[in-house]
Amino acid sequence: MESEAGKNPVLVIPCSGIGKVQGLLSREATYLATDEVATGVTDTLCLALLVTGDEDAVAKVQTHECITIDGCAKACARKNTEIAGGRVAKAVQVADALKNHRGVQPGTAEILTLDGWSVAREIAEAVAADAERLQAGEEVAP
Amino acid sequence: MSDPANADAIKVGIISCSGEEIPEGTISRLATLRVLRTLRPDASVTICLPLFLAGEGGERSFAKTHPTITVDGCEKQCARWGTEKYSGPVARSLVVTDMLGTDSAGCRRSTRSPGPPDEKAVRVVSEQIVSALDEVLQEQGTASPGGDDG
Repeated sequence: MESEAGKNPVLVIPCSGIGKVQGLLSREATYLATDEVATGVTDTLCLALLVTGDEDAVAKVQTHECITIDGCAKACARKNTEIAGGRVAKAVQVADALKNHRGVQPGTAEILTLDGWSVAREIAEAVAADAERLQAGEEVAP
Repeated sequence: MSDPANADAIKVGIISCSGEEIPEGTISRLATLRVLRTLRPDASVTICLPLFLAGEGGERSFAKTHPTITVDGCEKQCARWGTEKYSGPVARSLVVTDMLGTDSAGCRRSTRSPGPPDEKAVRVVSEQIVSALDEVLQEQGTASPGGDDG
């Protein structure tokens, strides 16, 4: 990764999972990071745009540090970012975050419960901390 | 992914854009889910778009085995172009910005605390998806099994 990347916002790329709460958790954690917890330090982009080969999207992942947030083990966000030539500095799995909250009902594919928002915020804060380290030129544990 | 449980019934595939960057992406996903879960649960299925686009044969055969409606958030139409490139022609393609015009201006991409503009946008788009779905089923010679139209 070029040193220039450290000056750019870190791209937080969520999965697009539509049918389960994990997909919604990945997106809401992303929006919490980009719009609230790490404004200016992070940005996002459409995963489908990247997958369809949009030149701007591909160039963006190749010139920014990337953190992916995936809802399921198929890891579409991580895999597609890597296929597009991006470096995934950190690959977050929503399932791992949920392991720390056994028994909670995070919500549905359409709406999060209060517990779900707590999980989303926890993911967002971890992502924000990693994004700040990456912007400072440090490495983070993958 | 919501998979067809009854292989005998024709189900229409609805592929929503992922559109994480824009409110219209959230509208397209929520409208698609409203059709799948409430308005036409027995006549529709879906698949995550990036999974479909990056998937293997099974996932990519989706539009070959289902008449498919794409719902895109913006004029880039990733859902439509991706589906047609990797799987086959779509039966209908809908674009949220065409349907809503400036009405999406007050909408947000987060689902937290949705306001009246968000709810109206999802309602309008889901109703247009249902209209398209019913047309497709008619063309296929299958009456819509219906659902909760409210």
